[in-house]
Amino acid sequence: MLATRGHLAPGTEPIRSVRLLGVFLAAGLLYGAVIGAYSLRPLQMLYSALKVPLLVAGAGLVCLPNLFVLNTVLGLREDLSAVLRGAILAQGTVAISLAALAPITAVAYLSLGDYPDAVVFNGIVFLVAALAGQLTMSRHYRPLIARNPRHRLARDAWLGLYGFVAIQMAWVLRPFVGDPARPTRFFRAGAWSNAYVEVATLVWQSLSR
Amino acid sequence: MRQTLTRIDTLLRGGFTQRETLGEGRVDVDVRQLASAALPLGVVYGLFMSLYSVMRGGAGSTLQLIATSLKVPMLFLLTLLVTLPSLYVLSALARSRLSYVHTVRLLLAAVTVNLALLASFGPVTAFFTLSTESYPFMILLNVAFFAVSGSVGLSFLRKALDIVFEGATAPAIPRPDPAARVFKAWTLIYAVVGAQMGWILRPFVGAPGVPFQWFRERESNFFVAVWDSLLRLF
Repeated sequence: MLATRGHLAPGTEPIRSVRLLGVFLAAGLLYGAVIGAYSLRPLQMLYSALKVPLLVAGAGLVCLPNLFVLNTVLGLREDLSAVLRGAILAQGTVAISLAALAPITAVAYLSLGDYPDAVVFNGIVFLVAALAGQLTMSRHYRPLIARNPRHRLARDAWLGLYGFVAIQMAWVLRPFVGDPARPTRFFRAGAWSNAYVEVATLVWQSLSR
Repeated sequence: MRQTLTRIDTLLRGGFTQRETLGEGRVDVDVRQLASAALPLGVVYGLFMSLYSVMRGGAGSTLQLIATSLKVPMLFLLTLLVTLPSLYVLSALARSRLSYVHTVRLLLAAVTVNLALLASFGPVTAFFTLSTESYPFMILLNVAFFAVSGSVGLSFLRKALDIVFEGATAPAIPRPDPAARVFKAWTLIYAVVGAQMGWILRPFVGAPGVPFQWFRERESNFFVAVWDSLLRLF
């Protein structure tokens, strides 16, 4: 899958392997458990383990109807199975990459002192995993774009919407690391706020100082 | 239900706007069939849009749900009704191959495509509704989704117009592309009237702490309101 070769190369065959989807789930659970191990609280590890697959798959599910309609309107419906295959394998790549980075995260936790450093470190890990997912997606899209350049627009729209939703999903599902100074909870108190509004407010405040 | 979904699917795939039929000035789908596809799509997005009000409860939340699910399809259909005469006259002046009935069908087809894409944003709207308190953010998010789905509807229309006006000017006489001129004029008229129609039909989301109203007082306009939402975000 990572090399985009063999039976997981770009193609039109739908991803139906329960075993493969199980591997993606296990990878997400593993990284989640490691990310939640910062404060060495088993409950936080369990919560974070559940949240990582929720984040990766949840954002995709929310955006799926739009992917379907947009591809149809753009006249790309015949390639939908190839697009879905690319999207699923890209999300699988994100999960596998996170799992691969789990040992590094564990080692980093041993050397990182502060909670904010751990949060920033995990932000970087997520970014690297997202870029790996993007690479898989691009490889699956390459033959499609060569056949019909409109696929580029469909891909960019998908990535834009997925990113937009995933950022808010991550904000809602926080904490992933778990602040040792706060009690362990699945959702942070006041979790139901908006990431974009918070960032816009911070930027506005710093500019108006 | 199944028939409506099949019709929407055929429309999105371009089955009603094929080169052969459009070239002969025909759009082979009935206005009633298109309207019966557009209405439920608008209702679906209206339901997602009114979730913000429903989530906050209160006496008017059920009424807001009903009002918004009716107002979203009405926004598009009323805008079309108001602009139709001017849009037809413009296209006839540009020597369109489409008769009045077929012009209505083409425009309604574009509106249905617009509503289909808008409805597909529904789960995203629902997700943000569940995870945000900010009313200005929800307004801006909805404006963005209306704008994006509107531009996809317009690109559908533009493609169709290119076929309709294909060969309308002799290559020896260099004149501005008639499809482009009609499209620009249609877009301008439809967008300005549509934005103001949205303003007249407000509220769609339902501001927290404000009692339910079917329609608000006549004041200001759409563009000033979007600017105000942007400022209130901070």
